[in-house]
Amino acid sequence: MSTMPPALEAITKELGSADRQERIELLIDFAKSLPPLPEELAAFKDAAHRVEECQSPVYLFVRVSPDQIVEFHADAPIEAPTVRGFVAILVEGLTGATAQQVLAVGDDLVERIGLPEILGMLRVRGLHGILRRIKAEVARAMIANDLAPPTAAAEHSSRTQ
Amino acid sequence: MAESYVHPEVLVSAEWVQAHLNDPKVRIVESDEDVLLYDMGHVPGSVKIDWQGDLQDQLTRDYITAEKFAQICSRAGISADTTVVFYGDKSNWWACYALWAFKLFGHKDCRILNGGRKFWYDHKLPISTEVPSYAPTDYKVAGSDESEIRVFRDAVLAHSKAGLPLLDVRSPKEFTGEKLHMEEYPQEGSLRGGHIPGAKNVPWGRSVNDDGTFKSIEELKALYQDEIGLKPNDTVVAYCRIGERSSLTWFVLKYLMGFTNVKNYDGSWCEWGNLVRVPIAKGA
Repeated sequence: MSTMPPALEAITKELGSADRQERIELLIDFAKSLPPLPEELAAFKDAAHRVEECQSPVYLFVRVSPDQIVEFHADAPIEAPTVRGFVAILVEGLTGATAQQVLAVGDDLVERIGLPEILGMLRVRGLHGILRRIKAEVARAMIANDLAPPTAAAEHSSRTQ
Repeated sequence: MAESYVHPEVLVSAEWVQAHLNDPKVRIVESDEDVLLYDMGHVPGSVKIDWQGDLQDQLTRDYITAEKFAQICSRAGISADTTVVFYGDKSNWWACYALWAFKLFGHKDCRILNGGRKFWYDHKLPISTEVPSYAPTDYKVAGSDESEIRVFRDAVLAHSKAGLPLLDVRSPKEFTGEKLHMEEYPQEGSLRGGHIPGAKNVPWGRSVNDDGTFKSIEELKALYQDEIGLKPNDTVVAYCRIGERSSLTWFVLKYLMGFTNVKNYDGSWCEWGNLVRVPIAKGA
C-alpha cells in the first residue's frame, strides 16, 4: 500500500471516498484537465504508441530517466471522457514517481478508485489495459537503462519514443 | 426530388428537436457508449438511459423486467404516449440499441435524432449540464411480441440452415475470423472466430455518413438491395458482437427501408462464437 506514488495515493483516496455523482464529476474534471502532449511528442501519435486494448484511441509516451524517474505523457479524445479521465489520473498520479513505484501499482487500481461502480464491468476492462501497457513500457525502459551507460540510455529511450 | 425513407417519421432532425425541447409530449433520451458524456453536457432537458446499467438485467444476460422498465420510464417522465427521441455517440449505435429495447416493451412512438450527439455538437447547438427532473408518470407497459424483432440462437441456427438472409454487421476482420473482436474492442471474448454460415458481411458503418447522419434511401437501396440482394419482404436476421451495432442496421432496414420482417440476434457473436457444436464459417 505504502509503495503507491503519493500523488496517486491522494487521487485514490479522493475518488475512493467520493459518492457516485461526485466520482463522475471528478472523472470529468480529470478528463478536461489532461495537459496537451508536448509538441515534440504530438507528431508521434502512431500505432507504436497506441494502446491496443483500449476502445478509444489512447496514446502513451513513457520515459524513464537514468535515475529511474518516470516521465509520462498521454492523449485520448475528449469524446471518450472515461478513458481520457483515467489517463489523466495516471498522468497526474504517476509523473515523477520512480519506476519501481509505478511497477508496484496494484492491478486493482481501477477497482480502488471505484470505476466499476460508475462504468459497469464491461467498460472498465480497456482501462486495465492502459495501466498494463504503462508498466510494460516502464519495465522496458528500465532494462534499456541498465544495459547502457546513463547518457546513451537517455538518448536511446528518447529515440524510441 | 429526393426519394424519402419508408417510415420518415422515425427520424427527426436536430432542427425538429430544437423546436420540441419544451414539448411535454416529447422526451429526449441520450444513450451512449461512454457513460460520462451525458454529464459533460447534453441536449437541454434530455435524460440519460444507459443500455448497460438501465436496460440490461445485471444478473441474467437479458433485458430488465417490464416492471423495471416502467420504473425507468416513470423516473424519466415518459408516459406510454410520449414521443421518445433517442440520440447518442458513435453514430447512434447505442441510441438504436435503446430504441430496439424500448420496442421490446412495446413503447409506441420511438424516434432517432439523425446525426446523434456528434451532429448536435458539431453544429454547436445548445447544450446543458443540468440534469432535469420530471414528475413521475404512471407508465403502463404495452408489451409486444418480441419474436417480431428479436431472435434466439436455436431460431438463428434454423435460419442459417434454411439458407435465409443473415447479415453480419461487424468489421471485415471479425467476419473472416482473423480477429475475435472489433479493432480496439477486446472486452467481449469469444472462443472461436468467423461468422454464422450463410451470413453476408455489411459493416454497420456503411449505413451512415461521416457526420453521423444516415445515408439516403437511394444509397441504402444500392447497398442492401442491389449489392447484397435483400428484398423488403425477406426475413432477415442481423447480428454483430453483442447486438448493438446490429440494432443500427435493424433500424435502417426496418424503418428507413421498410423491411417487414427483420430481427436482431442480440446473443450475437459473443454467444455464437462460444456455443458448442454450432457450425461456423471462416474467411471472406
